[in-house]
Amino acid sequence: MKSVKAAEIAGLQAALAAEHAAVYGYGVVGAMLSGGAGSQAHADWLAHQEARDNLEQMLLHLGATPVAASPAYELPFPVTGAASAVRLAASLEDGVTEAYLGLVAVTDRTLRSFGALAMQPPANRALAWRGSTVAFPGMPTSPTSA
Amino acid sequence: MLAASPTTLPLFLALSACKGPAVLSGPPPVSAQTQTLLHAVTAELNLIWIYNKTMAEYSGLQSTLAPLLAEHRAHLARLSARVVEPPGKKAPSTATARPPVAATSAGALTQLKDAEQAAVTAQLGRLAGASPSLAQLYASIATSEATHVTALAGRITRTRTGS
Repeated sequence: MKSVKAAEIAGLQAALAAEHAAVYGYGVVGAMLSGGAGSQAHADWLAHQEARDNLEQMLLHLGATPVAASPAYELPFPVTGAASAVRLAASLEDGVTEAYLGLVAVTDRTLRSFGALAMQPPANRALAWRGSTVAFPGMPTSPTSA
Repeated sequence: MLAASPTTLPLFLALSACKGPAVLSGPPPVSAQTQTLLHAVTAELNLIWIYNKTMAEYSGLQSTLAPLLAEHRAHLARLSARVVEPPGKKAPSTATARPPVAATSAGALTQLKDAEQAAVTAQLGRLAGASPSLAQLYASIATSEATHVTALAGRITRTRTGS
């Protein structure tokens, strides 16, 4: 039972770390975008803050100390303009989706369902940024299509 | 060693208090997890069938639907790869639901969107009894199908507004 709880907490911490990274990353994305895309980036930034806060509450409820955000994050590629900012937004959403998929592997049914449902908003945001769907969201080697 | 023969086997079973090999009482029941996996395979076959039918009737939807259909084929392949055919039971290979396609292209898109939404719900319902890796596959496919709902809804909106 103790190991199950440890697995649940590790999964939630990983999801929280991904949300922290997304909150940071959208700061970069938003700085590069304007107009409708800028507004969308702002809305997505807020959505990740809300998800982050929710995960922190869940961890506290389980008696765990939520992982803190890093002061800075290394971006996966240089972001020099609108096009790369949009690519970064999609990449951030992919990372969050993958983290929630990790939570689906725990045995606790409630958390498993939570993880599966929590994958949908970031996957839909990735669709909005990328303009196409993928066959296996959250899987490390997602074959892309569309 | 006691050799199994028509005369010695009953004696052996009586002496060893065994019920006998399972093969004597028919194939073992299919596990709940396998049954669920077989249902998931059938569900993908049904989705592929309705996509193919819709694309055949509304060629103007090809560019929208072909990528989504390709993803369903990928789902089917990944799910089918997980099936170990139980004794006496073949994995499904044909669609079991073949509804008529809606009379307009907008109606057909709505029909597909509804089918995708139902598929999302069904996949999420498969999570509870699944192994961790199979649960992740169901969850990933459910998420993919949720993005299909979004993509189809966008196309429906564009169809209605003529953009």
